Amino acid sequence: MTYRFPTQSNLYRGESEPVKRPKEFACFSYDEQHQYHIGDRSMKWYYTPALGADLSQGYEDFIKHDDSIDEHLDSLLTTIVHHEKETKKPIDANIVTWRGMMTKIMAVPFDNRDGFEMNATLYRGAIFIEENNEYKKASKEAQQNWRSAIPQDVMQYWGYKFETLSTIPRPWGETSRDYIENRDSHVTNNKEQYCSVVRTGIGKSIICIGGEVDAIWDSKPNPTYVELKTSANPTSGRDEENFHRKLMKWWIQSFLLGVPKIIVGFRSPDGILTKVEEIKTMTIPHMVKSMGKAHWDGDVCINFAGAFLEWLRQTITTEGVWRIRSAPKSNFIEVFQVEQV
Amino acid sequence: MGIPAAFRWLSNKYPKIVSPVVEELPLTMEDGTIIPVDATRPNPNGEEFDNLYLDMNGIVHPCSHPEDKPAPEDEEEMMIEIFKYTERVVNMVRPRKLLMIAVDGVAPRAKMNQQRSRRFRAAQEAKEKEEDKEKLLVMLKQQNGGVLKAESTEAVIKKAFDSNSITPGTPFMDILAASLRYWCAYKLNTDPAWAKMKVIISDATVPGEGEHKIMNFVRSQRNSPEHDPNTRHVIYGLDADLIMLGLATHEPHFRVLREDVFFQDSKARMCKLCGQKGHDASSCRGETKEKDGEHDEKDKPQFLKPFIWLHVSIFREYLAVELNVPGLPFKFDLERAIDDWVFMCFFVGNDFLPHLPALEIREGGIDTLIGIWKDNLPQMGGYVTKDGHVDLERAQFILAGLAKQEDAIFRKRKEVDERREAGFKRRKLQQERENGRNNYRPSDRPAVPALPAGITHDMVVNRKATDDSSVANKSAASVLRAQIQGLKAETANPSDSSEPSGEQTSPASALGKRKAELLEEDNASTPASASDTEAAEEEAGDSVRLWEEGYQDRYYQQKFHVDPSDIEFRHKVARAYVEGLAWVLMYYFQGCPSWEWFYPYHYAPFAADFVDLGKMTINFEKGRISRPFEQLMSVLPAASRHAIPEIYHELMTKEDSEIIDFYPEDFEIDLNGKKMAWQGIALLPFIDMPRLLDAMEPKTKLLSADDARRNSPGKDVLLLSDGHPTLYDHITVQFYSKKAGQSSFELDPKESDGLSGRVEKIENYLPHGSLAYPLERSAFPDVDYDRSLSVHYHMPASSHTHKSMLLRGVELSKPALDRSDIELLKRGGQNSGRGGGYRGGSFRGNGR
Ligand SMILES: [Mg+2]
Repeated sequence: MTYRFPTQSNLYRGESEPVKRPKEFACFSYDEQHQYHIGDRSMKWYYTPALGADLSQGYEDFIKHDDSIDEHLDSLLTTIVHHEKETKKPIDANIVTWRGMMTKIMAVPFDNRDGFEMNATLYRGAIFIEENNEYKKASKEAQQNWRSAIPQDVMQYWGYKFETLSTIPRPWGETSRDYIENRDSHVTNNKEQYCSVVRTGIGKSIICIGGEVDAIWDSKPNPTYVELKTSANPTSGRDEENFHRKLMKWWIQSFLLGVPKIIVGFRSPDGILTKVEEIKTMTIPHMVKSMGKAHWDGDVCINFAGAFLEWLRQTITTEGVWRIRSAPKSNFIEVFQVEQV
Repeated sequence: MGIPAAFRWLSNKYPKIVSPVVEELPLTMEDGTIIPVDATRPNPNGEEFDNLYLDMNGIVHPCSHPEDKPAPEDEEEMMIEIFKYTERVVNMVRPRKLLMIAVDGVAPRAKMNQQRSRRFRAAQEAKEKEEDKEKLLVMLKQQNGGVLKAESTEAVIKKAFDSNSITPGTPFMDILAASLRYWCAYKLNTDPAWAKMKVIISDATVPGEGEHKIMNFVRSQRNSPEHDPNTRHVIYGLDADLIMLGLATHEPHFRVLREDVFFQDSKARMCKLCGQKGHDASSCRGETKEKDGEHDEKDKPQFLKPFIWLHVSIFREYLAVELNVPGLPFKFDLERAIDDWVFMCFFVGNDFLPHLPALEIREGGIDTLIGIWKDNLPQMGGYVTKDGHVDLERAQFILAGLAKQEDAIFRKRKEVDERREAGFKRRKLQQERENGRNNYRPSDRPAVPALPAGITHDMVVNRKATDDSSVANKSAASVLRAQIQGLKAETANPSDSSEPSGEQTSPASALGKRKAELLEEDNASTPASASDTEAAEEEAGDSVRLWEEGYQDRYYQQKFHVDPSDIEFRHKVARAYVEGLAWVLMYYFQGCPSWEWFYPYHYAPFAADFVDLGKMTINFEKGRISRPFEQLMSVLPAASRHAIPEIYHELMTKEDSEIIDFYPEDFEIDLNGKKMAWQGIALLPFIDMPRLLDAMEPKTKLLSADDARRNSPGKDVLLLSDGHPTLYDHITVQFYSKKAGQSSFELDPKESDGLSGRVEKIENYLPHGSLAYPLERSAFPDVDYDRSLSVHYHMPASSHTHKSMLLRGVELSKPALDRSDIELLKRGGQNSGRGGGYRGGSFRGNGR
């Protein structure tokens, strides 16, 4: 039996209900070897990068995490278990997943070029959603096919390099000038990560999301987190459309974890950092509208996600593994059971 | 800063850094009721400010011994004046988050030498003034046929307030501390504009100079990740170096607030003898003032001196242009360049070292250095300073560059001097011919000369320069003496007395002198009268003759009494001086590196004496912080001993005191090529601390409990009202509720509106009590239920070097300089520095 849920944006127009600010209740870190640790040991502070840096510098020494291995929800679950032990109380979420899955779902009314496939399991009254790794691998290979002047891998590196250039391991006051000024020569390593686990509500569903946080602006508790992004300097109209699409992704990602600030490193076509701008997450939907010819609508994303999650909870009522799938360029999400207990 | 003339120089060269303050004043209604300023309303300056820092000595001095109005009757009246003045400043700024009141506490040893010199001179002047008063009395008596009305003498005899009491550890400072605590609590209870404001009082019991305690605070907050990089700071104070300190914080939204020193109220004339208004000393009859109705004239609305802003943000824009060196082999970093600039300013003058002989601010000394710096920056391979540390190898470049120009600078100085002198004499003769008499009168003096072309301070502030400044050339005592001469002349020729006399505001105190230093530069080198000049020159006996070959030999022989062949001695002096520069830099950028270090000479070396600096290593030991009475014994002359517990007096007075040599009654003032006594160097013996401490120790044991309390170090106090509910409640719950636990805790900046630090319960203090007015005459009320709360406050300590960097998230103000400002500055810079060492315009600006 396959259930279908429509994704056309026009079905979800209208002002969205106010969303509570996500609240972090736990966090964990991967160290430089990608070993899991509870707590914030890999958390970084944001400090302004120097302009003029070459984002390609040090590509040869990039310590790259192999993301082809399926990590499932392991770290998120370990963290939740740890939290439950500490508080001696089970979490109350209806949905538990990585931020990346929620982003795909929320974006689908406006962007479904690549499609997605996820696996979901009902356990203890909550639906746990993870990526279907097979599908991810396949679509990634498909993407490798198109070529550009600068290799995909290098362009991907730019984003990580920008993080290296923009972060410090301790607050500014406790970091040496030498460290700050020599960030351009530091080796970039994306095995090291800091993840925040938050509780938030969308529509009638309480969700628990884990996601990587690039940097903190100030201090805990009640941190202001920062999302770091790179983007080409927008030049032509086509670029602008791309930029709008990017903004939607950034907004959803940051919105879901409650990250209020996005720092954008603008780069030249060959990867020289030329400008750094701060964008307030909250203002993005309005900003996009005021730029004219909006390609997406934040209210629709929220309304859609609320409706979909509610529907999903009504649909997935038995244990076992379920598939959540949206084919590229399709107008619906399919849900069906793939494995019974 | 002890950079005389720094303000004038800065505001001439960088005119847009100054702008007038828009001030709302209390309204007096027709029926006499006064409507106070409502500071909850938007700031009339068009911008809101977060933090106001008061370098409180800049309020205490003018309020306790004002120059333009009668002196307060007693200490209580002084406190009221201080409250009034402070209120006025607070209402101008309307800080929305924090007010910090910092009074000078015990100073580092390096500063005490200057304090000692100032205080000994103040006492000497006071003595001369008393003598002059006595002379006046004698004359009045003669005039009245040997009889003197009682009320005539009353006014003349009243002993002036000893401004030397404004030193930590004195009873006066104790009263001040109690009064400030009361007043702030009172304001927190009564003024809605204070409801959300936190107040930090760092009184004289907390070690450190006021402005440096403020700098420590700003740095401590910057190091906190919760600090808002766009905090708008204002610092009030009189010292010229506040703008340097502002730069040194690297907080771009920083302003200095001060009275407009260049504005003189021509109506505010006051007699220096009897302290009354309406006449000057030359027409003083020693009569008590007439009471004006029931109330004194003091109750009448007074003319208020206007205030000005100095904008650090705009200064930064100027420096970005001025210091830019294109084509560097390394990255240009404005923050580092600014630090180097501040460092170079120290060469030209600071409170801790005598300035280098070749560098005079009026002669464009700073421009000379900037020129050398810009020329050398590419070869130096980096900046001279880094976060308060000097790179000595690079400092050697700068000093070597200066050494190359040194001879030429001295020769040129002499030439310019002679030219000016000739011009002056010529004009003088002309005047004498015109006047047909030889009577010197101030109004005969030429008005203040035109300033260099371009926008001037006065054009910006839109006011006329006045010429009262010329009086500052004379010491207070000599002004008095001149006036008594005038009085003699007038008594002989009464018809003259109806003529307008030149009203003068003479520096009556050490502070006045500081002010005089600020005013002086337009005509400081222009002696007040020819006879003075000649006398001064004779007195100066400038036998070093810097403009003639062999001057180094003569200088070291005459000033240091060292054989000319002893070149190593010169290098030793230079090394001590470099240590001093390193000390000052640290002091400004990181906080006091050593409480005991000081420069052990009265004179500076020549630039040429600095050699092999790269081989030097400099380390400072934190050292011991003096106790208040130790500082008092180090800086006060015996004449001011009333401010010190009696038990110590004999150490200063008894002939057989083992430290009697520290307290000379008379001491030489070496004019050192200068013309005015106050510009000279007081040749006081340096205090030998171990000897002083040994002598004091047996007495210290015998101090009364109250004196012992005044001698012990105190802590900063944080006050806030219950109008700041989250923080107020948190503190009261922590310290005073049933579940009260530890007696100190870290503030959560998100709860305290950004303030970081630790608060500590004050022993024996309970909130919700009553607030008692601490003085006698109940000029302010008691408050039955005190809604304010006091706790000790500790700045967050950082083990890390404070970095001269902008913080993430800082939003710079939109540029204030336009293309023409930048062009003007660049053109002015063309003939700066290189070559003769004089900036073209600055002397011609004197119009002589
Ligand atoms: Mg001071």
